[in-house]
Amino acid sequence: MTNRLDQCNRMAEGGRIDRSQPLTFTWNGKDYQGYQGDTLASAMLANGIKVVGRSFKYARPRGILGHGAEEANALMQLGEGKETIPNPRATQIELFAGLTAKATNGWPSVDFDLMHWLGKLGGKMMPVGFYYKTFMWPEKMWMTYEKFIRKAAGFGHASAHPDPDIYDKLNQHCDVMVVGAGPAGLAAALEAGRSGKRVIIADEQNEFGGSLLATKESINGQSAITWVEQVTAELAAMDNVQCLSRTCVFGYFDHNFLAALERRTDHQGMTATSGSRQRIHRIRAHKVVLATGAIERPLVFANNDLPGVMLSSSVATYINRYGVVPGNRCVVMTTNDSGYQTALDINGAGRTVVAIVDTRQQPSGRLFEAAQAAGITIKTGHAVIEARGSNQVSNALIAPIDASGENVTGETVTVSCDLIAVAGGWSPVVHLTCHTGSRPKWDETIAGFVPGDSDQDQYLAGAITGEYTTLGALQAGAKMGALVTASETSTSYACEDESVCPPQALYLVPHTKSVSRAPKQFVDFQNDVTAAGIALANREGFESIEHVKRYTALGFGTDQGKTGNINGMAITAKNLGKTIAETGTTIFRPAYTPVTFGALGGRDIGELLDPARHTAMHVWHQQHGAEFENVGQWKRPWYYPKGNETMQEAVNRECLAVRNSVGMLDASTLGKIDIQGPDAREFLNRVYTNAWSKLAPGKCRYGLMLKEDGMVFDDGVTACIDDNHFLMTTTSGGAAGVLSWLELWLQTEWPELEVYLTSVTDHWATCSFSGPNARNLLAKLCDDIDLSAEAFKFMDWRNATVAGVKARIFRISFTGELAFEVNVPANKGLYMWQQIMAAGEEFGITPYGTESMHVLRAEKGYIIVGQDTDGSLTPQDCGMDWIVAKNKDFSFLGQRSFSRPDTSREDRKHLVGLKPKDPTVVIPEGAQIVPHAEVTIPMPMLGHVTSSYWSACLGHGIALGTVKSGNHRMGETVYCPLADGRVLAAEICSPVFYDPQGERHHD
Amino acid sequence: MLHIYCPYCEEMREEEEFSYSGEAHIVRPKDPKSLTDDEWGDYLFFRTNPRGLHHEMWHHSAGCRRYFNVTRDTSTYRIYETYKIGEKPIVTGEKS
Amino acid sequence: MTNMYTPLHHITLPDTVADAGIVMREDKLRGHLNLRGNPEDQAFTETVAKVLGVALPLQPNSSAEIGSTCIYWLAPNEWLLLVAAGTQDQVEADLRSALMGQHFAITDISSGQTLVNLAGAKLDELMMKSTVYDCHSSHFPVGKVVQTTFAKTGATIYKCTDGSFDLVIRRSFADYFFLWLKDASEDYGLAVI
Repeated sequence: MTNRLDQCNRMAEGGRIDRSQPLTFTWNGKDYQGYQGDTLASAMLANGIKVVGRSFKYARPRGILGHGAEEANALMQLGEGKETIPNPRATQIELFAGLTAKATNGWPSVDFDLMHWLGKLGGKMMPVGFYYKTFMWPEKMWMTYEKFIRKAAGFGHASAHPDPDIYDKLNQHCDVMVVGAGPAGLAAALEAGRSGKRVIIADEQNEFGGSLLATKESINGQSAITWVEQVTAELAAMDNVQCLSRTCVFGYFDHNFLAALERRTDHQGMTATSGSRQRIHRIRAHKVVLATGAIERPLVFANNDLPGVMLSSSVATYINRYGVVPGNRCVVMTTNDSGYQTALDINGAGRTVVAIVDTRQQPSGRLFEAAQAAGITIKTGHAVIEARGSNQVSNALIAPIDASGENVTGETVTVSCDLIAVAGGWSPVVHLTCHTGSRPKWDETIAGFVPGDSDQDQYLAGAITGEYTTLGALQAGAKMGALVTASETSTSYACEDESVCPPQALYLVPHTKSVSRAPKQFVDFQNDVTAAGIALANREGFESIEHVKRYTALGFGTDQGKTGNINGMAITAKNLGKTIAETGTTIFRPAYTPVTFGALGGRDIGELLDPARHTAMHVWHQQHGAEFENVGQWKRPWYYPKGNETMQEAVNRECLAVRNSVGMLDASTLGKIDIQGPDAREFLNRVYTNAWSKLAPGKCRYGLMLKEDGMVFDDGVTACIDDNHFLMTTTSGGAAGVLSWLELWLQTEWPELEVYLTSVTDHWATCSFSGPNARNLLAKLCDDIDLSAEAFKFMDWRNATVAGVKARIFRISFTGELAFEVNVPANKGLYMWQQIMAAGEEFGITPYGTESMHVLRAEKGYIIVGQDTDGSLTPQDCGMDWIVAKNKDFSFLGQRSFSRPDTSREDRKHLVGLKPKDPTVVIPEGAQIVPHAEVTIPMPMLGHVTSSYWSACLGHGIALGTVKSGNHRMGETVYCPLADGRVLAAEICSPVFYDPQGERHHD
Repeated sequence: MLHIYCPYCEEMREEEEFSYSGEAHIVRPKDPKSLTDDEWGDYLFFRTNPRGLHHEMWHHSAGCRRYFNVTRDTSTYRIYETYKIGEKPIVTGEKS
Repeated sequence: MTNMYTPLHHITLPDTVADAGIVMREDKLRGHLNLRGNPEDQAFTETVAKVLGVALPLQPNSSAEIGSTCIYWLAPNEWLLLVAAGTQDQVEADLRSALMGQHFAITDISSGQTLVNLAGAKLDELMMKSTVYDCHSSHFPVGKVVQTTFAKTGATIYKCTDGSFDLVIRRSFADYFFLWLKDASEDYGLAVI
């Protein structure tokens, strides 16, 4: 398609765009041309595009308001398909060849929107709090309403495809972090950089310079741009300075920690061709200099949302930085001197300034005189009280107002224009200071909020403090740069006269009609909040500014009310008869501008989301087709399917192999803590429920660990290596927690105990083989110790040589069968596993996984801490009173809690066995246990099923569960109602289903 | 993100290296058996949870694995001091 | 020895990168011994110094070196002894007999961790991607040793004389470590030597 409007607003020269590099882009399906150096917004304005979207609530046409992060209207749907990005602001999108963008809303199009007509008709029908009032009743209908509202309103849509880009993060550290590279930031960074300190300076724009990129001022007798280029070059040449352009510091957190988003390739295309598209810098700074500048406020007047109403400073920026004049006949309304410069810039660009409308009664001074000299009509003590036009501004209604700014005092005249540039004063960008909890304070002299007291080591320079002159910003920057580097002197600067005439604090422009009857006067463009809406909220009793914000949605958009908040607060204050200082402000939260989820995730996605821990034998398990289960961060073999086996078939086969011959489990993941020191026994006495004083070297013992509240916390077997040396094992998932817990007691309560703990979890690899043939198997590999049942008893351990490798063999069992655990240094774990598998071939040795381990131990009624217990069961609740010593000298951890009334109740939930009445049934784990088969709600809840399996060797389902007073209900029938309507009956029984006498493992 | 001085490593370290470990200076009763249920319950469950100055334990879990104490303002997150186990805080909020 | 497999024995790279920005080398099968004792007990420190031939580093984050033995300070009462491959049993036995009767602990953890050297032109940026600790040369001089985070696991990081870093990583996290390293080096190329 042809270039529809052919850059009708582009100036022949000027600006920081490269006219030799034209770029074609597509907006709403039509092709246009811009230049390298344009933003999408400047290119759209160059092409005369006025309507860029429809408003959120009333679907009114909206145009570009600003030129940067403050933009409330120009939200784009950028790109298409899987690359599409919802809601970036056109003012922050750098133009690239082939860029495609659409409006985020408007149906059937932004130029003609059906919702708009609903909005027009429904203006009175859609007051503030409309959604709360209308759609909340009846409650059940909300789901229906919501679908409709979400479709009609709202902005862009996210891609449903995986993000094609990658994102990464850097951890940065510096002495001085400078946020913002305008005059103040550059001056500060220069000072700090020259001192040799490690400095980072970041700015969200594509190039450094900030406001200087759009000014005609001079610094030290040369053009501001020249100064910017010199300083930028000097900083870039310093090894100790990192210059980050296109990098928005979006969060400021405790102790001078900042987060910044660098857009590395967004300006080149939709996706990165190599490397990361965006990068988050996590910055820890000793000192922070905030030079974040200020944002101009619009004024609140009737129809001030019509396309063609723009911020005055933005108009100047489009002219000076991008060579675009966004209108032909312009009215400038101002409450301060800024508007005059814009008028002069428009005039200088050869377009018509219809009038400067200054709300001040008697402005004077340098710029006033310059405008007069340029022959520009100046209407003092006047205001634009209303804009008119169908889809864009075509007229401005101008009327005289009184000095208070509250009343129209005379006749209204209508002038024809297509651009109204509005200069309503400046709001310092205090956002980052708010992130750390600092509350901004109102400064009457600049009529704006400035940063309040902060606990951070932060320094402020330039417009963020209300210092709006270039010279003032440069000097403040240099001073702060010197201060943070403890330098006595700082560079001095010279600029031309920047004297200003005091501004007028005006927010809501009066109209000939009352606020409720005048055409809509918008405060928050993104959320369609009007002056009348705020007034209504105030009348309805919303007085706290935080309440007003939530009720009206003021400042709730993705722009966080950068342009609207102050006006809204001022209007609220006036309605309530208070000062702005009394009303106060809401505070801003991170992020300053929206951050993509991709960037927040960084590389911690997919396989890198959470570390997978592997044992020394992991490769073997993979090669032998294991399915894996997550146990904490460990990947443990779950089962080893053969051929087309189902999981249940594989588990049945594995379990039967253990019961009938021999099977082997990789038990390396168990936590292992090496305990050394003369007080090791005493230490064990204190942290375990049972006694350790008499455990002899060569012996092992099972231990139960409690928290001080008496609840089971961990369990495992501990071996006595020698009198002063023990090896403790913990659960796989609990290892780190147990070590920290034990260290806590040693370091804080019992420093007198001579004990050292060292984690050896990763050092030892453990091959655990079980079954009637376990001894026969071991005998093939180990001949330097007596393996007979008499010499090597159950719960003994031995140093021995297995397959030529020095090993520790533990005769312990978690399956109820004769079992040995061969421990070798993990470097030899894979070798040992292979040797045992080879030697076991004649016995049909079967590797088994955690699922079979669970079945085998459940058949024996052995608990798994964390599955059968949940931090609310005592040893007694678990039926393990036998392991609680009654007469230890030291009151072991948790002991005192046994006699607390709640812990000693008889009707606590007890861990019991559950045998399904229907032997073919396996009750789902987690099933609730109730006393009756007939389900009536509510009914008493007795407990739940914690473990449940099919027992291949018993030929029926088995389960463990907690049941109220379970120990006293043996033989009773309870019921498990399931979500599918079935009610399964089960008999309460002993948790030991298999070999209750323990003959097999004692063999 | 806090920046915490480990009194054992004698360096400022990032919060990621540490784990929070609850209120400091809670001493385990010497003879738990002699305590009433209320007294034991106080030890088990009750914490001061102040707004403002708080002495708390941290664990340098990814570093030297030592526990130590921190005096921190729970509303501003300012850290006034860190000190070793067994030492007394200097900043207590009480007038000296 | 054919029956020994280091934590990273099985890793493979699709292509050898000639001008790789990051070069990784596993210092295979070094002896790793964890030593505990009271630094204020002269009998302990002097005995250890006599056996090892070098004094234990007592300053936080410092190290000591003699021959093929390197000692890392880990905590006020904890050190890591890195000794030549295969000598750990002897060093442990020597220390045990020399320290007999004192309160100390020595634990062989040689199989539980491995030593990895990272070098290359892009090392600084790789470290910034991987750890929250400030590895800038002004903050991390040669000989310094720091236990900190590395991606989502931990590492003991030591600055070598040639500016490269030695990292001690836990065995079970070695695969994750390498996965991370490969990913983080994607832009510069990774060589394994």
